[in-house]
Amino acid sequence: MTVFTIDEVKKTFTNGEIDEQVLKGINLSLQEGEITALVGASGSGKSTILTIAAGLQRASDGRVLFEGKNMTDMNQEQIRKIRASEFGFVFQSAHLVPFLTVEEQLMLMLDVSETTMKKKEQKAEVAKILKLVEMNHRSKAYPASLSGGEKQRVAIARAIIHKPKMLFADEPTASLDSKRSKDVMLLIRDLTKTLNITTLMVTHDEEMLSYADHVITMKDGLILQS
Amino acid sequence: MNLAWKEIKKNKTKFIILGSIIFLVSFLTFIISGLSNGLSQDNAALIKDLPEGQFYMNADADATYNLSRIDASMQDKAMNGQKDAAALSIQMGFVNDADDKQHSIAFVTSTDSKLFESVEKGEIVLDRSLEDKGLKVGDTLTNNQFSGEFTVKAFVDQKKYSHAPVAYINMENYKEIYRVNEMQLVFVPGKEKALEIEGLQSFSNKDFLNTIPSYSAEQMSLNMIVWFLVVISGMLFAIFFYMMNVQKIGLYGILKAIGVKTSSLFGMMWSQMIVITLIALTFSVALSQGFTMIAPAGMPFSLTLQTTVQLSIVFIIIGFIGATLSGIQIKKVEPLQAIQQGEV
Repeated sequence: MTVFTIDEVKKTFTNGEIDEQVLKGINLSLQEGEITALVGASGSGKSTILTIAAGLQRASDGRVLFEGKNMTDMNQEQIRKIRASEFGFVFQSAHLVPFLTVEEQLMLMLDVSETTMKKKEQKAEVAKILKLVEMNHRSKAYPASLSGGEKQRVAIARAIIHKPKMLFADEPTASLDSKRSKDVMLLIRDLTKTLNITTLMVTHDEEMLSYADHVITMKDGLILQS
Repeated sequence: MNLAWKEIKKNKTKFIILGSIIFLVSFLTFIISGLSNGLSQDNAALIKDLPEGQFYMNADADATYNLSRIDASMQDKAMNGQKDAAALSIQMGFVNDADDKQHSIAFVTSTDSKLFESVEKGEIVLDRSLEDKGLKVGDTLTNNQFSGEFTVKAFVDQKKYSHAPVAYINMENYKEIYRVNEMQLVFVPGKEKALEIEGLQSFSNKDFLNTIPSYSAEQMSLNMIVWFLVVISGMLFAIFFYMMNVQKIGLYGILKAIGVKTSSLFGMMWSQMIVITLIALTFSVALSQGFTMIAPAGMPFSLTLQTTVQLSIVFIIIGFIGATLSGIQIKKVEPLQAIQQGEV
């Protein structure tokens, strides 16, 4: 089932008097429970399409449909609500909140998503997800005391704790060594399959493509190969 | 989740520094305000303790009560039917005690009124500060322009004028000392509008205080320092929160990206500002009130709890404005920009 559709999306950046078109009409459909990887050289537009899909910036033209609803027609508050409750994010850096423990990072995400779970249920859910990412033993630790791999595991746990329908991952393994990169990708794959999450991922690491169901290659703002 | 409190707990040093600055500035403000009020009391407690009303002086006196002379007919017109109204005069002078030691005082005399001490001929009622200098009830005092002697009848609390203790004397004795028959002023208590009386000029209590030489200059300088300090504390809030917000731009961006409302981020900043300010103000209010108890007796210092609470409210409002102005950046933060900047 198609969960997410990108329809003739274009993006133009204006730099002084020069207009630079970085996306020249992208069409993409994402299927429920599948991982789609975007690859391509730097400047190909892969990160731009991911951030437009995630509601972090607007398209200059075209439509972005999530479960049939046109996000390009929505206001900032409507998009924020979707980001909070339906989307999960994993960035190149973990971007954890420095003054919250691992457990609190996840509790915060549940708060933001306006979960209907009671506090006790929330704690149980946090414990369950931390066990899933094998971080339950560090639940009281602050980000500063975690290794790079551990931080990224917590970031993944934060991205899925509120059971999002979509997961956006922007080079999630870029700051990790090859062993940890494989561990993280295995984790993303297992979680998306277990929780039936649709994932759009940007990567430039060819080794990571084996974990994706679909690989889309981009060049100069266009889809080269799907 | 209480993000504001969690951040304060994790970054104690940073918030203690901000709290300490607010504590020091507010404490300094309270102390200067206490000195300002103390000097104001020392300069004009006699006038400040009167109820709201109207002072009248001769229109030709050019708003200088020393030059004012109100004749009997004008005095009658001003006081006619006015309950507790009084004609009065104030003159700086001195008395000598039994050891011929001279004491500077402000002679005050008035017609019968419950607002001023009623004194028989040859009697004198003094401000209590003179009791601290060794004078006692029953002591005999002299003045080189007075043919008789004054006997100290009583002491009254906190009656000062132009930084000198007040000495209430009988009108007849006053007339002899200063060789005058007219009073300088008429005071009519009440909040009604001043009567238009030909030849007389009316002043509210506040306006009259400003006619006292040195009073307005002294108060203006001290009040300016107090308000400068209040403004500086507001700027400190703005600068400190600006610096903290600049450090946290990345964090705000990420929080916005995952769906945290901008209003929640403002709420976080406001909560931190309120918590820090309240703690700092609690310490400075307690310490400044403690200081009022241990301030040296000769020091003109008067700080009421009401003044401290009023200034504290001003501090909170100024802090709120300062923090909010610095928080405009939060509204401008783009999640995407923060993500691209890397780790927060």
